[in-house]
Amino acid sequence: MLEFNNVSFSYHKNCPVVSDLSLTVNPGEYIAVVGRNGSGKTTLTRLIMSLVKPVKGTILFDGETTKKYAPADMARHIGYVFQNPSRQMFHDTAIEEVAFGPLQIGISKDDAIKQAKEALAKVGLNGYETAYPSGLSKGQKQRLAVASALSMAPRLLILDEPTSGQDQQDKALFLTLLDHLHQKGLAIILITHDMNILAEKVARTIVMCDGTKVYDGSTANLFQFHDVEKWGLKKPTAVTISHKLSPYGVSFSPTVDGLIAEFKANERGAVGV
Amino acid sequence: MSEIVISGLSYTYPKAAKPSLQNVSLKIDSGAFAALAGLNGSGKTSLCLAIAGAVPHYYGGAMAGQVYTGEVKTTESGICEIANIVGLVLEDYESQLVTLTVEEEVAFGLENRGVEQSEINRRVKEALQMVGLSGKEKQQTAALSGGQKQRLAIASVLATKPQILVLDEPTSALDPEGASELYELLHRLNQDHKLTILVVEHDLSLALPFASQFILLADGSVEKAGSPAEVLQYMGSKQHYACSLPPLWQLKLGLEPEFSSFGDWKTDDEAANELIHCLEKLEAGKSA
Repeated sequence: MLEFNNVSFSYHKNCPVVSDLSLTVNPGEYIAVVGRNGSGKTTLTRLIMSLVKPVKGTILFDGETTKKYAPADMARHIGYVFQNPSRQMFHDTAIEEVAFGPLQIGISKDDAIKQAKEALAKVGLNGYETAYPSGLSKGQKQRLAVASALSMAPRLLILDEPTSGQDQQDKALFLTLLDHLHQKGLAIILITHDMNILAEKVARTIVMCDGTKVYDGSTANLFQFHDVEKWGLKKPTAVTISHKLSPYGVSFSPTVDGLIAEFKANERGAVGV
Repeated sequence: MSEIVISGLSYTYPKAAKPSLQNVSLKIDSGAFAALAGLNGSGKTSLCLAIAGAVPHYYGGAMAGQVYTGEVKTTESGICEIANIVGLVLEDYESQLVTLTVEEEVAFGLENRGVEQSEINRRVKEALQMVGLSGKEKQQTAALSGGQKQRLAIASVLATKPQILVLDEPTSALDPEGASELYELLHRLNQDHKLTILVVEHDLSLALPFASQFILLADGSVEKAGSPAEVLQYMGSKQHYACSLPPLWQLKLGLEPEFSSFGDWKTDDEAANELIHCLEKLEAGKSA
């Protein structure tokens, strides 16, 4: 669906933000992009959305170069949710906010409202049609931003740190929503600093460091076999403890639930149950 | 001695339909490292603002009860007097950066207090050194990374020599490395400079290794306050807080029903060592 071939980009001459980046995103994939602040994660998503154009290399979407596409063209296929959702809200009601995108591409008002209602229902905000967006909680605003993206029926959803500033309950609710959307076939690119989300939710992880891709593969392998601290990441608790327990026969697990199960299984083996 | 004493504090913002704080009573000792937890909307930010005197001095509204910071009663003192005792770093820390360069930013609060230039120079240097921003004096604040801006906001309040440092969700914009570094800094300020620290944090695993006190707010009231272990045990007993527990304590409470009671883990190393000991005992039992 999406292909980067040796893409480089810089905002200022001789100061590359993204260097020689190649990657593919297949339909329906759920991918996390992680790395230090300033490693090029957000620029990567801006390149996908054609908000900035490569200085070198090519970006293909469905086999076509995105060079000729404006951000509005990409927005018909790809939804984008900002880290601070307030920055993408400018209407007085939630339904107007969500219907804005469909109206911009010439859909009739009745159909746009219908699509907006469906999108609000998908994110669990049915009943909030007339709510004032700025009056919603952080978690609700984030779901409203997702609804705005979904109203355009995208095939890929990009989310930049969507759970930062949310409490753990809102975060869990939001991640369940993403799971549900992924199961329905939507491809997702999630930028996150939360290593526990990575370990528990996302099968494929891309690690960015100094504008280049330094890892692209299974999240479990990332934590099991790589020294992630050198890339500014932190091992989740379960990973750190798993590594220390492995010489004692406890199998590796990157998640707390998995580690509890492995520890109990080891103990049953030890006492011959 | 208690540094922050709050008794019967209730507060309603102007035009708000319901109070943000309801009958909050709380003590935070001098030299404590306290973490304030609770769901969004539970009153954490309002409590921070009340401790810093911005509630009610800046926001207005209706307030009942008393807040003492140090020896000062906030309702009977000006916000400037309180600012000499309490340094506040807002969640939106960029909104409190107002000058062009790093050194101007740290000097700003001191200039407003009429501090002599030689003393300003000394304190700017000292504060930037404390937060690891030495050498960036002439740099434009706009060119700093999110983590550096957050540390600059901290340096600006440290330069005013507060007794109490209050930080509202200080790691929300930071990468894992930056978040760990910030907590190491807060730990040093707490241990070496004897600052009383109050930090609002959703990710309690960051505060757990350093905190001496956890406070859990719900619907504007204190639901539980005490040692980190006491509060985490309490949260573990409530289904709706299950996902708010640090992974370390999810592991502890998940294993304890089948194994002996473990210690009050604060770090991954403590947990790993105790679990290894547990496995060795099991292995020894098998051999016997």
